[in-house]
Amino acid sequence: MKLSASSSRGKLARGAMAVALAAALAATTACSAGTTPSSTPEPGGPTQSEASNPFGVAEGSAVDAVVFDGGYGTDYVDFAGTLVSGNLKGVKVTVSPSTAIAQELQPRFVAGDPPDLFANDGAGNIPTATIIDQLATLDDLWGTTNYDGVKISDAVFPSVKVDGTIDGKFIQMPYVMTLVSLWYSASLFEEHGWTPPKTWDEMLELGAKAKAEGLYLFTYGKEAATYWEWLMWDSAAKEGGLSVIEDIVNLKPDAWSNPALVGVYKKMEEAIKAGYFVPGGAGTQFTQAQAQWSNDQKALLYYSGSWIENEMKDATKEGFEMTAWPAPTLTTTSVLPFEAVQAGAGVPYQIPAQAANVAGGKELLRAMLSKEAAINFSKAKLAPTIVKDTVPADGFGSTALASTMSTMEAAGPDIFNWILAGKAGSYYGIDQSVPLIQFLSGESTAEEYLATMQEAFDKVANDSSVTKVTFTLS
Amino acid sequence: MTLASNQTMGRPLRRVARRRRLTFDRASFMAVFLLLPLSVFVVFVLVPYLQSFYYALTNWRGFSDQMDFVGLSNFATIFTDEVFLISLRNSAFLGAVLPTFILAFAFAIAFLVTSGGPATGQVRGLAGGGIYRVVSFFPYAVPAIVIGLIWVQVFDPSRGLLNGVLTAAGLGQFESFPWLGNATTAMPASMFTIAWGLVGFYTVLFVAAIKSVPAETYEAARIDGAGRFRTALSITLPQVLGNVRTAYIYLGLAVIDSFGYMMVLNPQGGPNYATLTLTQELYQTAFTKGQFGLATAMGIVLAAVTLFYAGIVFVVFRLVGGREEAGRA
Repeated sequence: MKLSASSSRGKLARGAMAVALAAALAATTACSAGTTPSSTPEPGGPTQSEASNPFGVAEGSAVDAVVFDGGYGTDYVDFAGTLVSGNLKGVKVTVSPSTAIAQELQPRFVAGDPPDLFANDGAGNIPTATIIDQLATLDDLWGTTNYDGVKISDAVFPSVKVDGTIDGKFIQMPYVMTLVSLWYSASLFEEHGWTPPKTWDEMLELGAKAKAEGLYLFTYGKEAATYWEWLMWDSAAKEGGLSVIEDIVNLKPDAWSNPALVGVYKKMEEAIKAGYFVPGGAGTQFTQAQAQWSNDQKALLYYSGSWIENEMKDATKEGFEMTAWPAPTLTTTSVLPFEAVQAGAGVPYQIPAQAANVAGGKELLRAMLSKEAAINFSKAKLAPTIVKDTVPADGFGSTALASTMSTMEAAGPDIFNWILAGKAGSYYGIDQSVPLIQFLSGESTAEEYLATMQEAFDKVANDSSVTKVTFTLS
Repeated sequence: MTLASNQTMGRPLRRVARRRRLTFDRASFMAVFLLLPLSVFVVFVLVPYLQSFYYALTNWRGFSDQMDFVGLSNFATIFTDEVFLISLRNSAFLGAVLPTFILAFAFAIAFLVTSGGPATGQVRGLAGGGIYRVVSFFPYAVPAIVIGLIWVQVFDPSRGLLNGVLTAAGLGQFESFPWLGNATTAMPASMFTIAWGLVGFYTVLFVAAIKSVPAETYEAARIDGAGRFRTALSITLPQVLGNVRTAYIYLGLAVIDSFGYMMVLNPQGGPNYATLTLTQELYQTAFTKGQFGLATAMGIVLAAVTLFYAGIVFVVFRLVGGREEAGRA
């Protein structure tokens, strides 16, 4: 907790340090000038400039960053920008928020004038497939040290490079460490004497108990119905191994008829038929649906990323005790244990290779991967970054953040990630939400849904104009 | 070549030269009133059109300047794509149905507030009609996005005003009914929202038009024993037909688009694509799938649909207007 000074106090300390440093520097130059007037002092020296400016950012240059303005806002990048300006005098970082990344950046990419760094995130993100050839690789960044002098590959979670690599190229640095899991109110469960389910059979039993008290198991909104597909895929991946998902995202024929997948969808169909979803989801905005869970407590469980706490901050019932819980397994003999979770780094930062200041973009990322910037983020947003050891055990007083950390730790090596790294149907822009909403609202059966999806994925597989990539998930 | 023929050719040439002598006045006039608008038109309208025609024949992915020429295969692709055809149908349906509803309603309000008043004395509107005029215009002053957001809340299945009122009135079957999430009601609910947002502008337009109709015609009609309904259809409507036609064109273009409303009401296109418009499908194809060539082809189809619509409106009004003139003669 010593490190977690408030940001304003941090700024003050930094300012004082800068003044002290400048004074010291002036003193040394004056000194050296006094003692050896003949030799011209090398400003900084080669090793020092190598450490403080490994990418050779031009003096006085501008760094242009475009950041998706979603649940996390953009101020944390501004903060990192001030760190850059503190490190490299005269370098100016401009952060432009955007809610429609693809729309805003498309003309800039075509004109050959893309930003130096951008967060390719949000519903309006650029399909990475379309720009993968235009992105700079980040291997050199991986090898440098951050502002604390720690090598970046050691400072962050090791899975980051796997998450950032698409088709063998390390082209994105996802910044926010995110857990995807079920979320429930620990206080509500305690009050009713319920325990969260470990298998789908227990899930259906819990649904019956909730129904008896006039409550529902799940809720969904029209924009975020996909979350429930995440749950089903995660359960299926635990049951049959990660190859279940790999087959789907690599567009294999018959991937959607894998017995593990079909089994989970059948269980979900039972839940839908039994009326365990809050009715009317197809016409409900997703934030309203989430409020039915976090505020009205009409639904017991919600499947989402760990951003949910921040997203619902203003619509969460007092004393809710938001807690994470892994996706249930189909049987007790699943390939991966129940504790396995989907977790990984999201909010991918990418650097266009033809940007005016590629070095500046990398420098800004380097600043963001320093402890000071990471702690600033975690404390304000109550979410962990990819930088290790920046969240205390009490999760800054948040049960959600604390349980996110403990759930990820409990999973040990069984952490997998296909959602946050963009290794899913969304990579090719396949529309799943409309058929999925039909399934969740009970208008189509599991079999019909799976057949529709197989057809949609086959269509992309057979489309010769689409460049395919191969995803590996482990 | 004889001398004579040279002379005959020379004479008109000289005459042309005399007629087109460029004074400064003339040249500056042409530059400002002819060349400037023309070049603006060429640069900002014509060239982009031609450019998009070309893009529609390529496989442009949108984020680089590289593309291959693929001929008409984009058109073949979209016309065999089920979702695109649904969106085309939805947009055509909106264009065919919605303007009539909106304009009929706007005309009714306009007539009532201008000439639907007491049957004796001077022809005038209903008492306090001015208030209705302002009230009906009010939604038009609110942006489409905001209107969409308001109605999304009203239509919300469990917390919405509409279901709250309906269930309180004893209609239990509307508890948690998803107006925007049900394949049968999503389109009507969306159309209602669009109509709510647009009707005010056309009311004001018609009020202005109706005011220019000479009062004597109304008085004559009244003396002949025409009731309000008869007056509206036989006196007012024919005299404001030109405005109605213009309104049809404007409104048709607006509802064939409908992008702003639909993106708020149902961003993915609604249950089973019930409210997916051509513009939404175009947007998805371009920005989420990164297939700008294909999306541009859709844009060409959209332009064709729009032109076709305008053509139909002109033809229909030519027929209707012609008959009226013949009847009057």
